[in-house]
This record gives sequence, structure tokens and C-alpha cells, in this order.
Amino acid sequence: MADTSRAPRSPRALRRAGRVAAWLPAAAVFVFLLAPLAVLALSSLNSTSSLSFPPSGLSLRWYGEVLSSQDWLVSFRLSGVLVLLVVLTTVTIGTLAGYGLVRGDFPGRGVLSGLALAPLMVPEIIIALGLLYYFQGLGLVNTLPGLWLAHSLVALPFVIRTVMVSAQALDPTLERAAATLGAGRARTFLTVTLPLLRPGILAGAVFAAVTSLGEVAVSALVSGSNTTTVPVRIFSAVQFQLDPSVAAVSTLLMLASVLVLVAVDRFTNFSEVL
Amino acid sequence: MSAPATAPVDGPTDKTGDKTGGETGGETGDKTAGKTARKRYGVRGLLPVTPVVVFLLALFVVPLVRVFALSLHPVDANGYPLDGYSFVQYRRVFTESFFSEALWHSLGTALLVTVLCVLLGFPAAYALSRARQGVVRTLLFVAVVSPLLTSVVVRSYGWVVLFSANGAVNRVLVGLGLLDQPARLLTSYFVVVVSVVHVMLPFAILPLTTALGGIDDNLRRASRSLGAGPVRTFWKVTVPLSLPGIAVGATVVFPLAMGIYITPLLVGGANQPLAGLRVYSQITSVFDYPVAAALSLTLLVLTLLGVSALGTGFRFWERRLHG
Repeated sequence: MADTSRAPRSPRALRRAGRVAAWLPAAAVFVFLLAPLAVLALSSLNSTSSLSFPPSGLSLRWYGEVLSSQDWLVSFRLSGVLVLLVVLTTVTIGTLAGYGLVRGDFPGRGVLSGLALAPLMVPEIIIALGLLYYFQGLGLVNTLPGLWLAHSLVALPFVIRTVMVSAQALDPTLERAAATLGAGRARTFLTVTLPLLRPGILAGAVFAAVTSLGEVAVSALVSGSNTTTVPVRIFSAVQFQLDPSVAAVSTLLMLASVLVLVAVDRFTNFSEVL
Repeated sequence: MSAPATAPVDGPTDKTGDKTGGETGGETGDKTAGKTARKRYGVRGLLPVTPVVVFLLALFVVPLVRVFALSLHPVDANGYPLDGYSFVQYRRVFTESFFSEALWHSLGTALLVTVLCVLLGFPAAYALSRARQGVVRTLLFVAVVSPLLTSVVVRSYGWVVLFSANGAVNRVLVGLGLLDQPARLLTSYFVVVVSVVHVMLPFAILPLTTALGGIDDNLRRASRSLGAGPVRTFWKVTVPLSLPGIAVGATVVFPLAMGIYITPLLVGGANQPLAGLRVYSQITSVFDYPVAAALSLTLLVLTLLGVSALGTGFRFWERRLHG
């Protein structure tokens, strides 16, 4: 890099070398990002019970073990139910709020926007302690409704933020045109506004789904033996046992997230709203 | 507390007014029709926000207030909360090095992680913003987003596998003859920082990519045609113009890094002196909720102070750059 700075009008070869030198760090960062995920996926194929990497032999036996284990199946079902509940809740109230916060013209809008995104700014352990203490009083610890509310709280700001991005790009004259053409408030919202907010809503749904699917920081405290989600079961398994079955579950969880992303990416350009 | 609390009071009244009053509207006191319409629209605008406000009041504001109340409770010898109020928990947080050193350690680690995320995120974001539409761009994008979509436990576990006694890193080090036998890498501070940076990095890359993608290419070309080399153009044009992205990335990463506890716990073990982990162990193994509350609220205040200091710093830097 120092060479190119000393010779600004360097010949083409040197410039190309400089460009390669500039891209190398980027390549290293991309490898860094993917390395632990790739390592997990590969070690889940280990044929022995050690988590050595590279794997000492290839087999799918750990997947079979996981898929025939009652504990893991119960967790998979719980996580699946939670994802559906959390996405439905956060997308419904988050879309309304994201749109209302951008479009509304009411006193205290700034304060409310701040409140809506505030959970992102608060360290997760505080939210976890707050909900644990609160839920203990309400009898919601180790229950499905408790996890549903906790996941919704963590996922909500993401939905609001992506919907706000879409709402900011929405042209108000389109809604006014619908109103002029005789559509009522509800009809305008359903047939004009919602379709235009779709990219933000779908991106928010993806975020809500993967947040719920991967949430541990709060769940680790408010869940219990009857409500162990997949990531919480991984969390305790990693602390006490190290065998490739956990790697297999992790790989399945990654695949689930990728599937959610791919499914939604078919309907919208995901990178647009990030 | 008082400011957000006014919202749901407005909300329900507006809702009932909307049902009963309907199109006739209730604001009789207004002189002009336009003013009435605007005001009605204004109050009605609160309607869609109401569910979220109620939700956040019930599940975010109230629990935080209750944690605050909890932190003011004295406890008996068994850690059982007593009646009355005192600052004894905060005194413990500030005087017992077990807690106070964890706070400083968390602050230092979060700053280090933030700096590393911006430094590492920059080249990645630069590549992502310069990549042309197509397969390469999609692949790079997937590389950035897929860790974000993967659970923190899974990513941390990946590092556990990599750095474990018979993991790849130890094998390479032993294979190269740098180590005689596998070392205990997992509990080291280095590995904790590496894994926390890995968890946070996408949060820095995405806003940086947006900022870098928004820079008009003609500005770089103008700089080059005026005689600046690529390096000088990078420092004098690209970096200053990407400052908003750096600011967003840093202010997102810093608070997340301040409270992180899952990753350090899995990778570094429960004895890592980080405030988030101390709160967790106070809750789960000591059952001393009041001191956990005091420690976590001190951590929150420190986080908010840090975020606003970062914001001020970036504003100052930006103002200096733009004259």
C-alpha cells in the first residue's frame, strides 16, 4: 500500500497489484465470517463421537441420532410453534407501528420512535433479568406464552425498523390517488399501502423468524425444563457435552434460517431493505 | 417514564372517540375546518402505534422499572430481598472488585470489539459495495448475512469446535511444530474477543456497505484527476464520506457488545470477568437478584453513556471534516 502512495501514476501492473492487495483483507474477512459455520457443518458429518476437525470419517449418523431423539424433537416442535406465533404477532403490531410512526403526525412521535427501537440499545442480559423477575410474579416462567412474549419483545424492533424504511420510501400521492378514486381508509391501506410496504414487512418477518429461531440470551433465563427451545438445548448441551449431535442440530438450525431467507428472497429483494 | 406513558392514555381515548364520533369529529373548540381536520388526523395517527406502545410498556418499561426497584432492595444473609430501600447493592457494585472490575473489563472489551468490527468491516463492506450485481455480489452478501441469521449459540459453538483441544487451530499449531501439545486456547481472552467480533461483525458491515454504496463514484474520479493517488483518495474522500456508516455501525455494535454473555460463556467459560456474565451467574447460581439488578443497571447506564459519547465523537469528527 505504501508503494502505491509514493507513486501515484504507477504503471498498470503495479496498480493491479495494489488492487489485489486491497481485496485481500476483504477476502480474509469473508473467510473469517464463514469459517466457524463451515467447520460446524463439516464436523457434524463426523463418523466418530469426537468433534475433531477435519472429520475423521463421513457419516450421517449424528443426524439420525438427533432426529430419533425425543428431547430434540420436542424442542424442534416448540421452536417451530414459537416462530409462527412470534412472526404473526410482531409483523402485525410492528407493521402498524412502523407505518404509523413514519406517517403519523402526532405529539410525542419522536419519543415513541425512540421507545419502539429502545430494546435494541439495552444490553440483552438486562432484558433477560427484567423479564425473568417480571414473569416470576406472573407465573409465566417456563411457559409457552412467556417465551412467546419474550421473543416478540426481542424481535419487534427489527420489524418496526424495516417497515419504517419501506414506509419512508412510500409515495403518499399513491394513497391519496386511491382515496380520490373512492377507496375508503381501510381499503386504501389494504390494497395500496400494504403491498407497497411488502419488502419491509417481509424483511421484518425474516428477522423476526430468525431472531425467534436463534434467541438464547433471554430464553436461557425465562425458559425451563418443559420449554427448552432448540438454541437453549444447544446452549446447555455445549456447556456439558461435546459430541457431533450438537453440531448436527446446529447445522439443521442454520439450514432452517437459510430456508426462511431463500423463501422470502423469492418475493422481494432482501438486500434492499437492510 | 412519564413521556411514553402519555401515549396509551391518548390511544384508547382516541379509539373510543373514533368509534362513537365517527366522521363528525369531536374537536368542537377549533375555529377553522382545516385546523380541525389536521388535528383529527393527528390524534388518529396514534391508533396504529397503540398496540406496540401498550406491548412495550407492559414488557419493556414495566420490567425495567421493576428491576430498578429490585436494585434498591437490601437483602438478608441468604440473599433474600428485604423490605425497605437502600443503595447497598450499588455500593457493592462499586466497591467489590468482583463487580467493578467486570464493568471496566466489559467497557474495554466492548470498545476493542467496536474498533475491530469497524476495521474489519470496512474492507468487507468496500468489496460488497463495489461488487457488480450478479453471482459474486450475492455470494458476498450471503457471507455477511448468514452469520446474522445463525443463532449466537451456533456461531459460538463453531469457535468452540475450532479452538478446542483437538480442534483445527490446535492441530495446525502442533502440526507446524509451534506447540508440543494442544494448548488450552478456549479460556483465553483472545478467543473471547475473536468470537465476539465474529458475532458483531455483520452489524458493522451492513451500515458501512450502505454508506459506501452511496458515495458518488465521480467524487473519487475527481480526486484522482486532481492528482491524488489511490491511497490519498481513499483517506481523503472515501473514508470521510463513509463516516455516517461507521457511526451507525459503531453505535449498534457497542451496546450489543456491552451486554453480551452467551458467547463469552460458551467460548471462555463462566469465569470471564465480564459484567454480563457476572449478572448471569448472580442470577443462575448465586440467586442474588438485587445485586444482579444493580450491576445490570449500572451496565445499562455505562452503555448509554458510551453510546452518547460515541455519537458526540462522530458528530464532532464530521463537523471538523466539513469545515
